[in-house]
Amino acid sequence: MAGGILAVAALGFSLVWGILNIINLAHGTFIMLGAYITWQLFTSFHLDPFLSVPIAFAIMYGFGYVLQRGLINQVVRAPILATFLLTFGLSLLLVNLALIVWTGDTRAVSPAYSGANFTVAGVTVPWTKLATLGAALLITALMHVWLVRSKLGRAIRAMAMDVGAAQLAGVRVAHVYAVTFGLGAGLAGAAGALLSLSYSLNPSMGEPFLIKSFVVCVLGGLGSVQGALVGGLVYGIVESFASQLDVTVLGQHLSGSGLQDVIALVVLLVVLVARPTGIMGRAAA
Amino acid sequence: MNRLLRGLGLGGITGSPQAFAVSLGIMALLLALPALHNGYLELTFRNILMFAAMSYGWNLLGGYTGYVSFGNVVFFGIGAYCSAVLSAHHVDSLLADVPVALVCAALFAIVVGVPILRLRGHYFGIATLGIALAAADLANNLDVLGGSGGLALKQVPQEQFSLYYYAMWAVALACMLGTFAIARSKLGYAFVAIRENEDAAQVLGVWPTRYKVTAYALGAMMTAAAGAVYAPANGFVDPSIAFAVDDNVFPIVMSILGGMGTAAGPFIGALLLAGLNEILQSQFVKIHSLFFGAIIVLVVLFLPRGIVYLIGLRGGMRRYLADRAAFRV
Repeated sequence: MAGGILAVAALGFSLVWGILNIINLAHGTFIMLGAYITWQLFTSFHLDPFLSVPIAFAIMYGFGYVLQRGLINQVVRAPILATFLLTFGLSLLLVNLALIVWTGDTRAVSPAYSGANFTVAGVTVPWTKLATLGAALLITALMHVWLVRSKLGRAIRAMAMDVGAAQLAGVRVAHVYAVTFGLGAGLAGAAGALLSLSYSLNPSMGEPFLIKSFVVCVLGGLGSVQGALVGGLVYGIVESFASQLDVTVLGQHLSGSGLQDVIALVVLLVVLVARPTGIMGRAAA
Repeated sequence: MNRLLRGLGLGGITGSPQAFAVSLGIMALLLALPALHNGYLELTFRNILMFAAMSYGWNLLGGYTGYVSFGNVVFFGIGAYCSAVLSAHHVDSLLADVPVALVCAALFAIVVGVPILRLRGHYFGIATLGIALAAADLANNLDVLGGSGGLALKQVPQEQFSLYYYAMWAVALACMLGTFAIARSKLGYAFVAIRENEDAAQVLGVWPTRYKVTAYALGAMMTAAAGAVYAPANGFVDPSIAFAVDDNVFPIVMSILGGMGTAAGPFIGALLLAGLNEILQSQFVKIHSLFFGAIIVLVVLFLPRGIVYLIGLRGGMRRYLADRAAFRV
C-alpha cells in the first residue's frame, strides 16, 4: 500500500532528475510541506484529505515553478555539486521554517472514517489505505497521459532526449525547466497529502522519503512513469517484508523496523551492481 | 599542467600561493591561543580546527578528483567510536586513539570505496549518503557501541584540557600540509586528471579506481583523525553526535566557500563558516539552522568557485559575471 505513495513521490523525483539532471535533496521536504498543507486545511476548514490532494499539488507546483525560475536556473549548468548543495540548503531552510510555523509537535490527520476497514479472505484492509493506493495509481496514470499527449508534456520529453534540439524546435528551456521542477514539487506535495492519512506529521518526516525516492528511481529505471510505478510497488513490498525481519548477528540483536535506511541502502547497492538500468530501464543513464 | 590550471582560473594545483601562506600564518597564531587561558575561545577554535580537518578530508576526493561524497561524516563517526570503544576497554590515550582510527577508517574506505567509486556523479553521492544514514542506523542498534544511549569517555583533568586543543591543531596542520604535499606529488596530478576527464586520464595510463580509492582513503583518515580527537574532548559519543547531519554538510560548504581543490580553501572556509555559525548559534539559539540554510543557498548562487578562486581571479567583475552566466539557463 505504501508502494503507491512511494511511486507518486518517486515519479516527481525521477522527472526532475531525468530532465534537469538535478538530485533534489529538498524532495523529502516538499513531501513534508504537502502533508502539512493537508493538515492545515483539515484542521482549519475540515476539508477531506483526499480533496486536499489536488490543492497540495497546485500549491507545491507554483512553489516549485518559482524556485526553479528564480534560483535553481541560475546554477543548473554548474557541476552537479552546486544543485546538490542548493537543494540541501533549501531543504534546511524549509524544515526550519516549518518548525517555526507548525512547531516540532507530532500532528495527525484523522477523518471520521480513518478506522473503517473490511475483510477479504481473512485479511483486514483499511479503506483509507485502499483509497490512498487508488488515488496514487490515478495520479500516476494522469501524469503518464499528460506527458504523452499534451504539448508541454511532449516538450518535456523532448528536453529529456536532447536539450539543444528541443531548443531549436522552439522549446523555451527556462520555462520548461521550471514547469518540470514544479511538477516534481507538485507530485511530492500530492504524495505528502496522501501520506498524511497514514503517517504522523513532523517537520523532519520527509527525510526517509528522499532516499527511498532515489532507490525507487534506480530500481525502476530513471525518467519513466512505468519505472517509478513498478519501482515504487516493488520497493513497498520489499520494505514491508524486510521490516518484519529480526536477526541476531554475532550476539547483536537487530530488528528490521529500526533499520529502514540500511534496507534502502542494501536494495540500492544490489540493484546498482546487478542491473544498473533498473527493472524497466533501457539505456544506461 | 600547473600553468594550464592557472589559465583556467583554478590557480594551479594547490590554488593561490598567497592564500596558502596566509593560512599557514593564521595556523601559527592559533598555536598561541591557549596562552590566553580563555576556555570559550579555545573550545570555539578547537571546533574550527576540527571542521578544517574534516573539510580537508572531503576536499581530497570532492575537490581534487571531483567525486562528491555526501556521507563523509561516516569516517568522523568511525574515528569517534574508535576512541570511545578504546576508552571502554580502559585505553585512554590520543596516541592510541588516532592511529587505530586512521587504520579503521582507511580499511573501511577501501572496502566500501572499491564498489561505490565505480558509480559516477549523483549515484556516488547518494550511495555515500546512504552509507552515512545506514551507519547511524547501525550504531543506534548495536549494543557494542552503546546503542542510542551512546558511550562515555574518560577525559584528562580539567587543567590539562588544552591537550585536546593542541591535538586538534596538530591534526588540522597535518591535513593542510598533507593536502599541499599530496597535491604537488604525482597523486595530485592524477586526481586532477580524473576530475577534468576521467576517460582521457584512463587512456593516458592513470588507473582511475586506484587513485580514486587512494583519495577516498586519505580523506577518510583526515576525517577520522578529527573524530578520534573530538570524542575524548567531548567526553561522550552517541549516534546523533557521531553522525550529525551538520558535520556531514558543513565540510562540503566550507570547502566550496574557501575553494575546492586548493590547499588553503578548506581552512579558510572552515574559519569563516564555523566562526559565523558560532556567532549565529549564540545569537539565535533556535533558528540558526535557518540562517545556515540561507548561507548555503547564497554561497552556491554567488560564490560557486570559492574565495581562493576570487583571490586568484584575473579580469575582475566582468570575468566573475561571465563565469556565473555559464551556469545559467
